[in-house]
Amino acid sequence: MINDQNIDRQIEKAIDSIDGIKRAIPKPYLLTRINARLEKDVKSIWDTVALFISRPALMVLGLCLIAAINIVVILQNRSSAGNTVAEHTINTMAEEDDFSATFATIDNIENPQP
Amino acid sequence: MNQSEPDLIRQLQQGEQLAFKKVVDLYQNMVYNTIISMVQNEADAEDITQEVFVQVHQSVGLFKGDAKFSTWLYRITIAKALDHEKRKKRKKRFAFVQGLFGEKGEAQHHPVEFNHPGVQLENKEKAIELFKVLQQIPDNQRIAFTLNKIEGLNNQEIAAIMNNSFYAVESLLARAKTNLKKKLKNYYLQQSDKKNSNDK
Repeated sequence: MINDQNIDRQIEKAIDSIDGIKRAIPKPYLLTRINARLEKDVKSIWDTVALFISRPALMVLGLCLIAAINIVVILQNRSSAGNTVAEHTINTMAEEDDFSATFATIDNIENPQP
Repeated sequence: MNQSEPDLIRQLQQGEQLAFKKVVDLYQNMVYNTIISMVQNEADAEDITQEVFVQVHQSVGLFKGDAKFSTWLYRITIAKALDHEKRKKRKKRFAFVQGLFGEKGEAQHHPVEFNHPGVQLENKEKAIELFKVLQQIPDNQRIAFTLNKIEGLNNQEIAAIMNNSFYAVESLLARAKTNLKKKLKNYYLQQSDKKNSNDK
């Protein structure tokens, strides 16, 4: 109980400790430092653009967009993979036809008909 | 402000350097004191004070004179102080994550004890404890308490700065005080437990 009373007293003292507090004062020559900062802070348009692009929300959006494009490309490649195999077979057959045609042409040259 | 406030603001809006100097001279203590009481670090407070006046210089054109200039300035000051705290917390989290991956993050040195330079000498020790727990209460309560107890503003002025009603500010101040008492009680109980275990 005594401890509780002691704590209550300490709490009141702590709360009242800032009664009559004076304002803290910044170091001298604040205006000079502000002016120096104002000169430094004159940003080019590219700085503003870079600052805008580097916003976390925009970066996350950009990453999501890149991921989405990748997924779309992968899915498109996968669906066209079957078609590619069929196309390849057709091309091979066409090439074979060409070869037989070529062979027939050579044969014609070597054995001209009387 | 004796040279009528609207005149000074008009000159400031026209880009007159002398008007800007007057504004800095008039308000630097107000801005710095509010910031140092919130961020509890002298170097950071200096830096944010500069940021506030840079912001004033750049956006004074947006000040329409609906509120008092000091009200507008307090709003910028509080917003900058809160921004700084958010940035600092983000950095701390990042350093923590870096630490998990075994990388050496930049050490985030945060002073354990903050000693407000305006506190009377005999109250220094208790004020350090109060400022410690002040960091643990919700932002709006902390802002209301700081403006009232440290800046000496009345409820009406705080209401204008915080865009709240008079009664909302009254309630915020009451809750701030209750929360501070609760946190202080926990703090003192912990201290007495520590002392008891050390004695054993």
